[in-house]
Amino acid sequence: MIHQKMTALQPDDCAVEINHVSRVFGSVQAVNDVSLSIRTGEFITLLGPSGCGKTTLLNMVAGFINPSSGAIRIGGKDVTNVPVHLRDTGMVFQSYALFPHMNVFDNVAFGLRQRKFTKADISSKVMQAIEMMSLSGMEHRRISQLSGGQQQRVALARAIVIKPKVLLLDEPLSALDKSLRAQMQVELIELHRNTGLTTIFVTHDQGEALSLSDRIVVMNRGQIQQVAEPIDLYRNPANGFVASFIGEINALPPATCTVASDEISLDIGNIRLIAPRRPEWQFASGQSAKAFVRPEHIRIATPADGGRNVVTGEVLTHIYQGSHTITRLNVDGLGPIEMRLPGGDVVGRVPVGLKADIAINLAEVVLLSNTAN
Amino acid sequence: MTQQRPFFIPFLVPAVLVAVIFAAAMFNVFQYSFLEFVPGSVEVGGFTLDNFARINRPIYYWVLLDTFLLSFATAFFALVLSYPIAFAVVRAERNWVRSVLVVLAITPLFTGEIVRTYSWMLVLGTDGVINTTLKALGLIEGSIPIMYTRPGVVIALVQFAMPVMIILLATAISQVKRDCEKAAANLGATPNTVFWRVTIPLTMPGILSSFVVVFAWTMSAFSTPQLIGGGKVLMISNVVYLQGFSSFNLPFAAVLSLIALGAALGSLGLMKLATARFERKLATV
Repeated sequence: MIHQKMTALQPDDCAVEINHVSRVFGSVQAVNDVSLSIRTGEFITLLGPSGCGKTTLLNMVAGFINPSSGAIRIGGKDVTNVPVHLRDTGMVFQSYALFPHMNVFDNVAFGLRQRKFTKADISSKVMQAIEMMSLSGMEHRRISQLSGGQQQRVALARAIVIKPKVLLLDEPLSALDKSLRAQMQVELIELHRNTGLTTIFVTHDQGEALSLSDRIVVMNRGQIQQVAEPIDLYRNPANGFVASFIGEINALPPATCTVASDEISLDIGNIRLIAPRRPEWQFASGQSAKAFVRPEHIRIATPADGGRNVVTGEVLTHIYQGSHTITRLNVDGLGPIEMRLPGGDVVGRVPVGLKADIAINLAEVVLLSNTAN
Repeated sequence: MTQQRPFFIPFLVPAVLVAVIFAAAMFNVFQYSFLEFVPGSVEVGGFTLDNFARINRPIYYWVLLDTFLLSFATAFFALVLSYPIAFAVVRAERNWVRSVLVVLAITPLFTGEIVRTYSWMLVLGTDGVINTTLKALGLIEGSIPIMYTRPGVVIALVQFAMPVMIILLATAISQVKRDCEKAAANLGATPNTVFWRVTIPLTMPGILSSFVVVFAWTMSAFSTPQLIGGGKVLMISNVVYLQGFSSFNLPFAAVLSLIALGAALGSLGLMKLATARFERKLATV
């Protein structure tokens, strides 16, 4: 579905274009030569650890921070030197930043009033947005009388009612408790579908990023690590940082490759793992590579495995998580390995301290050249 | 909580002592107001209510009204002049700018009231800095009277009040969430609109309370109206002084003091009501 959307768009159909943008704070390079094109109607997520530059980048799009170099275009227009109030972006702040001296209605109406709409127009647009965010009947409430989730909705209503060229969300869910956050995720998806607003979402939560985004931009140390759709990002991370930042993954020690016609053998010390060869891999025999294996691709070995990709490790701990159990083992030659066993199958567990044979499924292994990190 | 009480009681002793002595003095003033004035003597006679009857004369109403208006004007102009400085102190991006501003704003607090008032006399006088400068520039023929006028008194009182006002306003401004201002700008508000529609309303509790403080403080001003007003501008404290220490009518001075206290407390109470309403409105989100 996403692919159809992509092909339907023209190359000049860019809502936001970030062109070689850098920002330096004193001696800190917060954002380092970032270029990114965001398509109209796209939900794009800037994901990375704190201090990776994602919030700085968002603030540069909004106009709160000026780039040290580079240019930003919104809707085809260069806005690099345009002040905040003329950029026509709608931002939802982490703190919501609602106006405490105004009620819900006046908060939502604020942007429309700056745009000099008629009173009747403002009233109907505000009530529509309030209804859309399920806040009907609360328009005369004070902000201090609202729950966290309701404040979140007001902040969203206030941002979308002005029909901005781009909606900017700065970790808007981080202040909510877990169940409310899950509910707001669903509402964000629906809101995006209903409004079709181009959205830039900033988060450090990879779960949020994977479930909400059309595309994810992974950032680290001020630079873009990878831009990809969620599935692609999870299955084909571009480097070790992305591999370990998105989801859980076991980084195996460096391996020496032996390339055959339809498989690649990976020798790690005395251990030999064999992966089915993928066309995009450009490895030569003798080359050093790093393999990354997801915990869900490891299971307890059975006789049917015939010893292929089976290693033995000592069970260190079981972490029961309800729907699955995470088991940590120490495998000679590979180091600590985490595996994820479905269900709370307590009976099938190997007791802590005993050895277990585990089979590694390398069909979806992430294999990266050892130099790329 | 109950376990902590024995621990901090000793620390309250000095404050309680001061409060008791002050209350005793105030009670003395209260008592004096009911005692008979014996002309030509500082000794007082027996119980009487005549002192309160004497207050019912236009001159004292005018003095009270004058005191009220001068205090109001002082608080108003101090507010208008202090807000931009307090704003700059809080929002200055460079630390040294902030430090310089704070030093400039606060230093006057450490020069005595008399010293400051005399400096103002040098500036405002007939041959003072203002008049000689204007004359030298050929803008005026004779001297404009500033000394011994209400504007002159207000000018000096405003400067006297500004350091305190700046400190109070800076506290209020520093508590404004910058995200609120950023959100307003993001929604299309010009810097001007952001200031009037967001920053000012959010600092309104601070504006009102600093206004009240300066107002009440100025109600009791003495040496500035005494020296700059030179007997032509009378505030309530000056009348108390005249009655008590020129006419030695201590009972009537006591009555005037009580009335001044009542007026100050009354206006404080009224303004506090207004402030409380705003604070409820802005209850933290």
